[in-house]
Amino acid sequence: MTSHTEKIWNYLILTVMALIVLWPVGTFIAAAVSPDRAGRPSADLQWGNFLTAWTQAEFGRSMTVSLIIASAVVVLSVLLALLGGYAFGVLGVLADRFLFPLVLFGMMVSLEVIIVPLYYQFRTLGLTDNLFGVILIHTGMGVPFGIFWMRAAFRALPRGVFESAEIDGAGPFRMLWSIAAPNIMPAVYTLILLNFMWTWNDYFLSLVFLHGDNQTATVALGVFQGKYVTQINLMAAGGLIVAAPVLILYVIFQRKFISGMLAGAIKE
Amino acid sequence: MTTSNAGVAVPARTDDGDSSVTESITTAGSRRRRSSRARRRSRRAGLLFAAPGLALYAVVVLWPMIQSVQYSFYKWDGVTAAVWVGVRNYVSFFTDPVLRSTLGNVLILLVFFALLPIALGLLSAALIIRAKQPGMAVYRWIFFLPQVLTSVVIALLFKRMYAPEGPINEALRAIGLDAFAKNWLGDFTWALPAVGLIGTWVTFGFCMVLFISGAASVSTDLYEAARMDGAGPIREFFSVTLPGLRGQIAVALTLTITGALRAFDLIWITTRGGPGTATQTPAIALYKAAFVNPDVGQAAAIGVVMAVLCLVIALVITRVSEKE
Repeated sequence: MTSHTEKIWNYLILTVMALIVLWPVGTFIAAAVSPDRAGRPSADLQWGNFLTAWTQAEFGRSMTVSLIIASAVVVLSVLLALLGGYAFGVLGVLADRFLFPLVLFGMMVSLEVIIVPLYYQFRTLGLTDNLFGVILIHTGMGVPFGIFWMRAAFRALPRGVFESAEIDGAGPFRMLWSIAAPNIMPAVYTLILLNFMWTWNDYFLSLVFLHGDNQTATVALGVFQGKYVTQINLMAAGGLIVAAPVLILYVIFQRKFISGMLAGAIKE
Repeated sequence: MTTSNAGVAVPARTDDGDSSVTESITTAGSRRRRSSRARRRSRRAGLLFAAPGLALYAVVVLWPMIQSVQYSFYKWDGVTAAVWVGVRNYVSFFTDPVLRSTLGNVLILLVFFALLPIALGLLSAALIIRAKQPGMAVYRWIFFLPQVLTSVVIALLFKRMYAPEGPINEALRAIGLDAFAKNWLGDFTWALPAVGLIGTWVTFGFCMVLFISGAASVSTDLYEAARMDGAGPIREFFSVTLPGLRGQIAVALTLTITGALRAFDLIWITTRGGPGTATQTPAIALYKAAFVNPDVGQAAAIGVVMAVLCLVIALVITRVSEKE
């Protein structure tokens, strides 16, 4: 029952805010397809900028590296989260009064606090400049959220789901894989999306750990923009290439991104 | 937060462990013994299930955290032998003018990373909640968009916006404010607010969805009562929406304040902490000490101080928000 003028004001204020948010994005996109090296918008759309940026920055290689890391992290994280979430949510865990708070604590630990020893330890193990090392770190840091998220999903399942299988005398593994997991696929999809985004978007960890041929797309983009300061159009095209995978997923799965990130923040 | 402390009977799930407790009270003694044995077996299986994740978490997160504390008591360049220096690295964090200035920078960043996003988040959330008009989903999509962009791309977006010949300066010149046009990120006074505003741009959409989700749990009766009383949008916001969002505001404050303290990617790519040390944050100082001019113990000490500050901030905010 909001009045007509109030509705118009609502739209007006929100639209102004939306335009401010979209302004940098819009000029960036315009720059990416501009023939002008300074990136001034032009009606003459140069789609070839994407190809030029792709070849000059060798995004083919760095995007492959990012894709390998993100895929491995997604698979490992989901596996560990299913096992851990089922344990904490359904089976119960010995000493969980101590272990579960310890897991939640991990959601607050930031990379900055652990990066120094992590780097020097991994260096002695020969795991720096090594995709496997980075995959392990991403996966390990994702364990707390994964367990937290999957535990909540399993606990929300109605008890009846398990009862018939219980009577059949199914073991915990069979219960998880054939009864519980198929029932929580929406939560699994959200976890996949979030893990993919976090890993793909990472800059700090990749910057510290990976160099040369092992550079991820985000780090390669950082290097590329440093080299091409005078060719803003190519830099913008490169930026859009790197942002594209997550952006496309966001267009399709907006709700899952928002709900997952909210749950991680509120931790309820 | 409910932790399942009593464990679970058989593989089936119970809500809080309470029902398994009542079950064991009401059933016969022999069955109780059997079910508690089954529960122990189940919990042992649970530990086995959780073990791979917990082990990796311990190796990658917990152990390095303990080591961070250990490193912080040494002077080490990453190559030659480390020398024990006690708490000197902590003392220098608070006495070294450059390192200490990072905390002052964070205080200014707080305005842009925490206060502004929360204010704008409240405003946009209130408008979207109250309106229930078509098209609100589009605004939500737009405001949340910066959250899924990688920090490198965000930094590039704004490097272009703030460039001497960039859109902001062009807009200023177009309306005759040539005198205000400047190289924003290279200016000793303006670089920090300029970087801060990037944080505002990124963060406010997240605060907004947090508040929208919180307001969804505010009883609609309260809104109806307020409207019956003829409350306008502003009174409704202050007397219904805002009090209902106290928990969400506490969460937003915690996340945004610690976010300001930890700001790295955006600043590193836009200014590298410069000009001079005008935009240096603790995380930038940490990175430089760890990997640019290795003083590893100092870097570890900065990390520990950041962790302690984050923890204290989170605890204080939770305590205060629950007390009122």
